[in-house]
Amino acid sequence: MLKITNVHKKYNDNEVLKGVDITVDKGDVVVILGPSGSGKTTLLRCINFLDHANQGEMEFDEYHLQLNSASTSEVRKIRQKTAFVFQNYNLFQNKTVLENVTAGLIIGRNMEKKQAVDLALKALAKVGLSDRVDFYPSQLSGGQQQRVGIARAIAVEPDVILFDEPTSALDPELIGEVLSVIKQLAQEGTTMIIVTHEMKFAADVATHVIFMADGNIVEEGTPKDIFQHPKEERTRNFLRRILPPQVEYNI
Amino acid sequence: MDINYQFLIKTFYLVLTAVPTTLNITAVSLLIAMPLAFYLAVVRMRPGKYIRPLISAYITFVRGTPIFLQILIIYSILPSFLNSTAKYFALEVNVFDWNPIIYAYIVFSLNTTALLCEVFRSALGSINKGQLEAALCAGMTTAQAYRHIIIPQALVVAMPNICNLTVKLIKGTSLAFLMTVKDMTAVAKIAASYGYNYIEAYMDVFVGYIIVCSVVQVLFDFAEKHVGKFRLIKQK
Repeated sequence: MLKITNVHKKYNDNEVLKGVDITVDKGDVVVILGPSGSGKTTLLRCINFLDHANQGEMEFDEYHLQLNSASTSEVRKIRQKTAFVFQNYNLFQNKTVLENVTAGLIIGRNMEKKQAVDLALKALAKVGLSDRVDFYPSQLSGGQQQRVGIARAIAVEPDVILFDEPTSALDPELIGEVLSVIKQLAQEGTTMIIVTHEMKFAADVATHVIFMADGNIVEEGTPKDIFQHPKEERTRNFLRRILPPQVEYNI
Repeated sequence: MDINYQFLIKTFYLVLTAVPTTLNITAVSLLIAMPLAFYLAVVRMRPGKYIRPLISAYITFVRGTPIFLQILIIYSILPSFLNSTAKYFALEVNVFDWNPIIYAYIVFSLNTTALLCEVFRSALGSINKGQLEAALCAGMTTAQAYRHIIIPQALVVAMPNICNLTVKLIKGTSLAFLMTVKDMTAVAKIAASYGYNYIEAYMDVFVGYIIVCSVVQVLFDFAEKHVGKFRLIKQK
């Protein structure tokens, strides 16, 4: 469904992505792991053109385009097929919860207001915020704001949802509510690409895991491949540092 | 000190009759300056090689010179310039017949545009870029994102400064008498000059400006609360 090949991205002289390929099929939950600065977020942002890659190709259903020379209308079409959940939520501060969710439908997609509100209420029910529709973002907790962010993403019924470290800005006790919503989406067969540092969650929801370092994909495979039988030394090092140590006893 | 109360009251009414002129210059200048300043602010925030330094130079020029001088320069140069341009294109207009208020519009618009541009730029910059990105991701065009998400929030941030600028502009229009426009100040000065009742006239103008500026500030307070509804709601 979505295939991106040979993505290169430079910030000035700093090469962040050095030729990354990624393929996503319908129903996949692709989790991207890697240390900070490995280019995970940049890759995600290149997919819907928040960052413009210097080189690379994209095949997305019937669209086939070059990442560095896509026209404004092509960019908009790709953006309408995707949704993005941000690390720091980025809710529209001047809109209520409900308006945040309907904005993409009414303003972005010219949908009738009544129909948009129906869809939005359904999406908000799914993330458990039916009782907060008339609140402004400033009145919500971080976890609730991020769930609104997710509702905003699913309401537009995108082909794929991109999650950029959706729990990194949250208090530890609020992370659970957001992860469980994403898990539920995964069980319903929503196609997602998730950048995260939550290893246990990644192992639970992923159908495919990608490990990135220094702008390259080091290793990819099923969660079992990556978490239990990593082939590359770089992956093993990363997992050893981030997973709780497995103490070996020697008597 | 003798105060001619009869003159004081009579002139006060006279000053009031000139309030529309003062407000007229203010309103027209603001209406011209607002869209222009907003456009310049947006251009100035975008990367670009040639236009940005021009805008910066314009702002530096306006900010760095007294409005008194700007009026004198434009009022003495512009009519002759327009006249020769008209002649060059063989147009049948007599620039020197124009109502001097037109020059007041021009001076105060140019001045306000530069100052407003900075107000808008800082206000737009205060809205985090993430919301623009979120709006684009939600399928909006850049124009829609600005119209529905960024501008409504930037406006709230800009309101106190716009109020400041408007009040400053109202007071600044008192210099319109240099261009023979009969605003509040000019009317009072002319009345005073017949019998040298300057103290009374100045007191009238003083009170006149206080009233006008107070009303404008109250209106802005009201407007700020209205456009900033989303900010005022307390945590529940």
